[in-house]
This record gives sequence, C-alpha cells and structure tokens, in this order.
Amino acid sequence: MDELYLDNIDEFVNDHDKIVTYKWLSLTLGVHVNTAKQMLYHYLDHKRKESSAPLHATYLVSGKFVDNGQTSHKVSVVKEDQLEDVKSRMSLVVSVHVYSVQKALLKDSGPLYGVDYDAVKDNLKNCSRYSAIRCASAVPRSSVELQQARPTQPAPAPEPEHKKSTTNGDATPASKPSTKPQKGIMGMFANKSALKNQDSGKEVKSEQKEDAPVVDEPKSKPAAKANPMMNFFSSQAANKTVKQEEAAPSSSSAEQQRPSSQPEETQAAAAAAAAVEPPKNSKKDSRSKTKRMEDSDSEEEKMDKKKRRRIKKPEPDSSDEDVIPDSPQQMETREASPSPKKKVESVSQSHQGNCEMKTRKRRRVLKSRTFVDDEGCIVTEKGYESESYSEAEDDVQAPKHAAKDPLPAKQPASSKQDDKKSQKKASANSNKGTKQASIMGFFQKK
Amino acid sequence: MFSDMSAGKPGSSLLCRPVSEDQAPVFERVSPAYNLCSERYTVGERSFSRQYAHIYATRLMQMRPLLSERAQQKWGSDVLIRKLCDLQTGEQCCIVGTLFKRMELQPSILKEISEEHNLLPQPARVKFISDTDELILEDELQRIKLEGNIHRDKCVTGSVVAVFGAEKNDGKFTVEDFCLADLPLQTPRPVLTSDRFVLLVSGLGLGSSNADSMLGLQLLVDMVTGQLGGEGEQSGAANISRVLLAGNLLSQNTQDKDAHTKPKFLTKKTQAGSVEAMRLLDELLHQLAASVPVDVMPGQFDPTNYTLPQQPLHRCMFPLASVFPTLTLASNPHQAHIHGVRFLGTSGQNVCDIQKYSSMEDHLEILEETLRLRHLAPTAPDTLGCYPFYQKDPFILEECPHVYFSGNAPEFGSKLITGADGQEVLLVCVPDFSSCQTACLVNLRTLTCEPLAFSAFSAHEEDESEMNVSH
Repeated sequence: MDELYLDNIDEFVNDHDKIVTYKWLSLTLGVHVNTAKQMLYHYLDHKRKESSAPLHATYLVSGKFVDNGQTSHKVSVVKEDQLEDVKSRMSLVVSVHVYSVQKALLKDSGPLYGVDYDAVKDNLKNCSRYSAIRCASAVPRSSVELQQARPTQPAPAPEPEHKKSTTNGDATPASKPSTKPQKGIMGMFANKSALKNQDSGKEVKSEQKEDAPVVDEPKSKPAAKANPMMNFFSSQAANKTVKQEEAAPSSSSAEQQRPSSQPEETQAAAAAAAAVEPPKNSKKDSRSKTKRMEDSDSEEEKMDKKKRRRIKKPEPDSSDEDVIPDSPQQMETREASPSPKKKVESVSQSHQGNCEMKTRKRRRVLKSRTFVDDEGCIVTEKGYESESYSEAEDDVQAPKHAAKDPLPAKQPASSKQDDKKSQKKASANSNKGTKQASIMGFFQKK
Repeated sequence: MFSDMSAGKPGSSLLCRPVSEDQAPVFERVSPAYNLCSERYTVGERSFSRQYAHIYATRLMQMRPLLSERAQQKWGSDVLIRKLCDLQTGEQCCIVGTLFKRMELQPSILKEISEEHNLLPQPARVKFISDTDELILEDELQRIKLEGNIHRDKCVTGSVVAVFGAEKNDGKFTVEDFCLADLPLQTPRPVLTSDRFVLLVSGLGLGSSNADSMLGLQLLVDMVTGQLGGEGEQSGAANISRVLLAGNLLSQNTQDKDAHTKPKFLTKKTQAGSVEAMRLLDELLHQLAASVPVDVMPGQFDPTNYTLPQQPLHRCMFPLASVFPTLTLASNPHQAHIHGVRFLGTSGQNVCDIQKYSSMEDHLEILEETLRLRHLAPTAPDTLGCYPFYQKDPFILEECPHVYFSGNAPEFGSKLITGADGQEVLLVCVPDFSSCQTACLVNLRTLTCEPLAFSAFSAHEEDESEMNVSH
C-alpha cells in the first residue's frame, strides 16, 4: 500500500490545521473506516518517531464496564493521557482505536462532533459506503417507487369515497377523511408538481395521463367561467340550471378520467335542484351554499350540526366557506385563512374558486363619466358601471337600476375578457391583490 | 452480553499499520422478520363531537368478563358478583368497576375560573396526591366510596378492578381484598439460535440549546452503522437488527410557548424552533436508515398530535430519510413483532402521568402496574389526553407482549417478570438520552437488556482531576 496517505494526513493536520477524525479521513480519501483508523495510527506513530512535532490524538475505547453491579457496554472518546486510565477501569476492553489527530490540544470534544457533522453533511449519499456493515434492504427507493408507495398509504379509505364534484374542475385528491390531515400537510409542504404527481399516482395511471387532468382544467375553466358572469345578473333559479349545465359539460370532458364521478354529477345536480334556497343577500353565498351541499353530499359527511368544517384540507373553496349565509365578512375572513393552502393548489383550481366566489368580482358602482356629446359639450354624468373589485371590500352595494340598464348590458362582454385576465393571476397574489384593491376602493368611493 | 460477544474476536488490532486495502471486512446486517401491528393505534377519521364517557363505558364492558373470571379464580367460583344497584347491606360480595380517585389537588379548570373560589394560581407541582384523597368505584349505573384494604395512593383513576367486601351501614364499601385483571395470555416466543439485538433509544433531544449530547448521539449512530470500534465490535453491531426511537426526538426547547400568545405580525420572519431540529433529525435518520431498519415513535415534544394515540410523524418532514424503505414511522404506542418477539411500548407519557397522580416513583414499578392492570394508560382520558374512542378501548392489552417498554425515563431500568400462566415479559425503561447518554440493547435470544453508555471528554472534567492532584 503506498504511503501517499501519510503526506495527505500531514497536509491536513499541519498545513490546514484541521482536526482529522477517522470518519472525515475515510470520507475524504474514500477508504474503509478501519483502514482510515489504521492510517491515522500509522501517521501518528511515524510522526512521533520522526520528529517531536506536537501532535495530539484522541482515542476511542469501548468495553464492558461494571458500575454498582450493573454491567454496561461503555463507549467513550478519551484524550491520550486518559487512555490507560480508562482502559484499566474497564473490566473487558473490546476495542481501542485512534479517533482523531490534530495539532492543538483539545479541551472539549465539541469540535470533534463539528468535524464529523460537516463531513457527513457533505457526503450524505455515501455516508455508509465505507462503513463496516452493509444492509441489504437499505437501498434508496427511486422516485417512481416512491410515488407508488405514497397512494398505497391512503388507499383503503379513498376507494369508497372516490367522488368529487367536478364543477370545481378540480384535480384534488378525492376526499378521504382519514387522509385529509395527510393531504393537508402534503399540500403545505409539497409543490404543485408534486401535487400533480400525487393525483396521477392516486388514480394509478401512467405518466401520460398526468397531462390529461391539466388539459381538462383549461377546458372546464371557460365553461365554468361563463356561468359566474351570468350568475351575477340572473336569478337564483337560473343560477342552478346554469350550474347543472356547467356540470354536464365539465363532467363529460372529464369523463375519461373520472367515470365514477358521473353518477356523482347526477347526484350533485339532484342535490342542487332539491336544495332549498332561502333568500340570501348575495348570489355569492347562494352559490357557495349549493356547492357546499354538493360537497357535503358527495363527501358523505352529514355534519349539519357543525357549522364549521374543521379538518377540511385543500378541498376547493366551498367546504371551507362559512355555512352562515348572511355574513359576508365571515366569508372573507375564512377565505383569508385557507388562502395559504390555496397557493399550492393548481392554478386552474383556484381559478374555478375565484370565478365562483373568491377574490375578484364584478359589481355596479356609481361613477362619473365625462364625455363629449353631440353638440360638442363636455358632459359629466353619473352612472352605474360594472367594475371588478376584490372581496375584501364591503359587499353593500344596493343595485340601483335607475336609468343605467343599458350600461350594464354592455359591460358583460368586455368585462368577461377583463375577468379572465384578472383571474389569470395566481391565487398567490390574491391576498396582496385584495389588500391593494381595498385601498383603491377607498379612494374610488369618494 | 454485547461486550463479551464483540470481544471474542482475537483479530487484528486497529493500532497498527494498515495492510492492503482488500482486507477491510464488511459484515452483513442481519435482517429481521418484522411485522408491524399498527392498525390498533392509527386513528382514521377523527371526530371530536363525542363525549369521553364512552371510553369508560366500553372499557368497563370489555374488562368486566376478564375481571369476573379472575375474581372467581381468586375467591372461589361461588363468589357473588353483584352490580352496584343490587348491593345489599352487609352481604359479602364482589363488585367490578372503574376506580375514580377524587384528589383535592388535581388541577381543575372549573375551579380555576370559578370566581367564588377565588383561587390563586397554583404553583407547579410534581405530585398531586394528598392525604384527603378518596377512592370511589363506579360501574355502569352507580358509584360507591371505598375504604379498607386497598392501596389508595397506588391506585389511579380509570383502572378497572374487582373488589371483595361488604357494604356497611354508612353507605361505604369496606374492602377486604381486591384483584386486578393481571397479564393476558402470551404466545410463546420463538427460540433463536444466535444473538439478535434491538436497540432502544429515547429522548434524543435535538434542537436544544446545549449540545453536549450531540457527540454522544453521533457515537451511537457510528456504532450502530458499523463505523466505530474494532472489527469485533463492528461484527457485533451487525447483529443489531433494528433500532427503535421511542419518542422525544426533539427537545422541549423547540416547543415555543410564545407562539400562541405572540401576535402574528411579530412572528412573521421567525422560524419555529422545531424546523431546524427536524432537519437535524432527518439527517440523523438518513445515516441510520442507510444501514439499519429504524422505527420512529413520536413523543411529547414531537410535531404530531397531542392526544394519545399519537399518530406517526409525517414522511414529508423526512425528505432525505424517507427514500429508504428501512425507515418506519410508527405511532405512539407502538406494537411490532421483531423476529417473532412481540414489542409493545410507549414514549413514556402514560407512565409520567401515573407518576404524578400516585405515590409510585419508579418507572419500572409503574410499568409493571400498568401491565398487571392490563391497560396501557388508565389515566386517559382523565388527566392524560386521548382521543374519544367509543367502540373499543385500544389501550387494553389483549395479548401479552414479550418486551414492554416506555421511553424517556430518568434512568435505565429493566426487569423480567413472570405471569401466572407462564408469561415472561421483559420490562424496559429506556432512559432519556439527552441527559443520560445511555441506550438500551435488548438481546432477543436471551430476553435480557443491557445499557449502552456513551461518553466524551469535556473541559470541566479535566479541571476536577487537576484539583484532586493538587491535594
């Protein structure tokens, strides 16, 4: 065996002034730990014979130790001068070897830990490559195996509950109460791509189908988007029929993916039709109530006594929404808290949520319009115009239809485009967006 | 003993020059037959809309037949077993019910907030027992005060017992004798031909402000993964087939109490103490899992739910370590078969709670008491947080384990007890590693346990020896 290592160790100890532990040496030189220990011993021996350079070493002693009748196996790191003493106190010495070599005398064993920690941290993948024990089963799983392993965890519970209202056009995992905590935490920690992977894994489909849900979402998005616009200007009954129509196309588009959800759709539609709609202030709430009832039916949780769902995870929207219909403020605050969860959901999902009841909405606001009329005079008129605003503002807009009906009729066409653009924003901005809009709204009201 | 086994090799010493490269030996880790019995303690859908009375009802229902049988074995098959509503004065009979200990000093939220009591906040106590405690036996319909030959200070609320005696004129039941459900039946453990070890550690205490135990922890990991020690020791370590971390992986310092009281805008940029500690834990587990199968149980200070049974830590917190199939995230309490030997244990919350509400001090004694009561945590849900079960009580021991452990004990303790039907159980109190630097090594062949101590040197030890010399 060539003696190059002697020079290497010499360089580390003297020139770089390092503390060379056996583990650090084994990872640096790529040798077996026992070889590293022997190398250290050899170096120590060699240097001491050669010159009286001040070198210090620590040793590892392990063995049987009897203490008040209790025998134990003791492993300790000792300084060189304590070595013989400790050895003599043990009843049976199992192993002794050099632990580290350094130039300065160590008062404390703390730096030894630091050196080993850094060494392991830099070589995490190889940390047990040079050890003396090999474990056959400790083979890191590949990412494919990991994905397959993940859904098997929540597998038993989700199968019966693999239903989702696809009016959300969502790709969220089916609601499994037992895995809701898991999914929630996963939603917090995982990124969007991981979420998509989860979905594909959950449905036990190959990688190609992963794209399909994503493709589905844009398709269902416009369908869903059309309806909120109409909802704002139509009656509640029309609301429901529109919703059912929306449900039909989106379910058909997602038919391939979720065949089991179709009976769900009919069930949802029936639920929506049968839902008793008490008069509500804002249409937003009526939509939420419908959706909530759908969700509650679909998830088979008849928690009618419970006003708040506690452990609802990144389920879209309405399940988090407040049941109490006549307090829009509460809805806003509730929305604020699930919004961090929303951030990790897929963007399309949040769009659905947005267009139904979330951040940006349209309302009619009294505004002054200045224009030049036929006679060339500049005229200022006050009129109601639809504009997009954020939910953080107060919802108290008593729509005065007055003489401005033609105006609103023109608005939907143009506002639809605006709305789409506005909803393209990621929900991550929704929080900031609402805050800014509220400041703007303050000035505009004047 | 581990030491004896490891020292047996007369092979090459490491205090010599390295020979050729090839001679570095590599030992194969023994792979155990492992069977995780986790269904009992995983709580699926959780609904907290139920009352806790249901647990007591089902506990009594499940244990009544067992206790009736024991009573008949002890006091004769013709002993009268009565319900409380059928009691007649003066008649000697046996009653089965749940014990309730009324303690003056037991913290009660109702007393605290009641203004008429005008209570000052109580100083933190270690024990809540006093001389004015009373024992009451409850069954499905009624309750009755107990007095007489029963160890009031050793009993805790929630234990189901059978007492023998008579009701006196004053409405109290005078106890002449009592009996517990005792150990359940045990399937005999398989005979192993060679030594197999399981390492039990608890109280790693990562994330604490003092890092004294970190080197000890590193030495532990190195020893188990076969990097430390000579060849004999490494081959001995290869026989460690499993490592069980029994709770309190994070230190108490990571529990940031201010988080609840501080307003959010002050804590926006600060990170919870447990985040860094979890990262450390992940790296540690990565090193371990790369070499040995590991079971990780959560404990009192770990990021999981508070109520028993604590659910396993989530794998997303271990991005490095969870790629290994050798990592098993277990619940607390934890039950598993390793090489056919049945392990059952907790992270120590049940034992600590009983210690607070009874006169028993020794963790080992308390462990034995819970085994004899046939219930892991009798004080749940009275003083120990637990989930409101209603169909069955999962803490009742249905089959006797071979190794019964509890973590985070102040010191190491181990004892072998035998049951009436020939059961053999090894009780192990796993010490808190951050303070004792000791782990437990259980030998599955002989069903014995030995402590494994780690130590390093530090500055003030040196000063002490210097002082001695100066005399």
